[in-house]
Amino acid sequence: MIGLVKGLAYTLKELTREKVTYKYPHEPLPLPDRFRGIQKFYPEKCIVCNQCMNICPTQCIQLTGKKHPDPTKKGKVIETYNINFEICILCDLCTEVCPTEAIVMTNNFELAEYSRDALYKDLTWLDENDTNVRRENKP
Amino acid sequence: MEQWLESAPGWTNVAVFFGLGALLLLVVLGFVTYAILAERKVMGFMQGRIGPNQVGGRLGLLQTVADVLKLLLKEDTIPKAADRPLYVLAPIIAFTPSFMVLAALPFTDAFRFADIGVGLLYYIAVSGLTTIGVVTGGWASNNKYALLGGMRAAAQMISYEIPLVMSALGVVLLAGSMNLVDIVTAQDNVWFIFAQPLAFLIFFIAAVAELNRVPFDLPEAESELVSGFHVEYSGFRWAFFMLAEYVYLFAMAALITILFLGGWHPVAFLGWIPGSVWFALKFCAIVYVLIWFRATFPRVRADQLMEFAWKVLLPLSLVNIVLTAVIKSLFF
Repeated sequence: MIGLVKGLAYTLKELTREKVTYKYPHEPLPLPDRFRGIQKFYPEKCIVCNQCMNICPTQCIQLTGKKHPDPTKKGKVIETYNINFEICILCDLCTEVCPTEAIVMTNNFELAEYSRDALYKDLTWLDENDTNVRRENKP
Repeated sequence: MEQWLESAPGWTNVAVFFGLGALLLLVVLGFVTYAILAERKVMGFMQGRIGPNQVGGRLGLLQTVADVLKLLLKEDTIPKAADRPLYVLAPIIAFTPSFMVLAALPFTDAFRFADIGVGLLYYIAVSGLTTIGVVTGGWASNNKYALLGGMRAAAQMISYEIPLVMSALGVVLLAGSMNLVDIVTAQDNVWFIFAQPLAFLIFFIAAVAELNRVPFDLPEAESELVSGFHVEYSGFRWAFFMLAEYVYLFAMAALITILFLGGWHPVAFLGWIPGSVWFALKFCAIVYVLIWFRATFPRVRADQLMEFAWKVLLPLSLVNIVLTAVIKSLFF
């Protein structure tokens, strides 16, 4: 009998307590800096070393390079860079392995699309994905 | 209202009564819409969340409207093995009495419909009919959970109807009438909640059980019977069962207000506030307590439910009747 009254008092107190829910779609969630979100790609930093493509456990990265347009310089520049987010598991290995930090993680994670084709993100899309970029990226 | 009831029958009468009925139905539907929203909001707040806040502004004022529209658009499924005529009939049998009982309830001294001499008896007799609808729905669905839910509903309703009536008898003894208007008039000086605290307690518990609400929601226990007697129902037929449930919430809260909280009588010196406001305030308090119970209590077990009704509530209500009779014959 006492327990019932106690329960009622408890729920009444809960009524005015601060709510624990987030206003998620309206306000972005606070995420830690080490969050693994959609990658941001810097084409000018890329040296086409293919390490990200090789380390990717799901083989979701495809890239092609070409010779440097300036004949005096050695090496290659990136031509196409695609990540297939149908199979990307956001494991952070590509960004870990990249020697020049040309690919880094961001805190963006909203990947829902109406068609599968929209999940193939290309070089320009990944370049423009420049919000909430991870601040600390050690090579 | 009186002269309309006593006038010669004719088409104008039919039109007026139909119009008044439709008006009351709209009022009740409005109540049901916002009672559901209030229930979800209050329960949300008590559970550390906000509740509906997307449809219809920040308070989610149109959430229930959207839900009802969704129910109307849903496919109306009837199981292949169901007893088709009974299956179709059950929601109607369940809902109709819930609206019929509202005719006998006086909301204020001016706003009331039928002034029946045995209003309380009429309420209890007609509200018992809903059980038939529930059992019919449970049987006609041809589903074991639905049947179990229907059987539980029958057992529970019959068990709790008895303490409900017995505790109301104390009020009837004191008021000397079964007319609900007379009962309210008899509470001019002291409300029956103070004159009959035991009866109020028993009546309230039995009322919660009659309404099939937590902690007595065994007929539709979501976690053990999926959702009890309406497990096979969908769309608008399901909405009718829910509507019946919430119209009974309306009716039962109004009845408790009338029987125990002095109906439209004001508190002490606040007589300048109109009676309808007082009625609404007391009514809302009852509805709030019912929602509060739902957010707080766990469901009782089926055997505990039966034992509680027959071994605790019924003897207590009998004691209450005897006490009331003794007090009445000695002091009045």
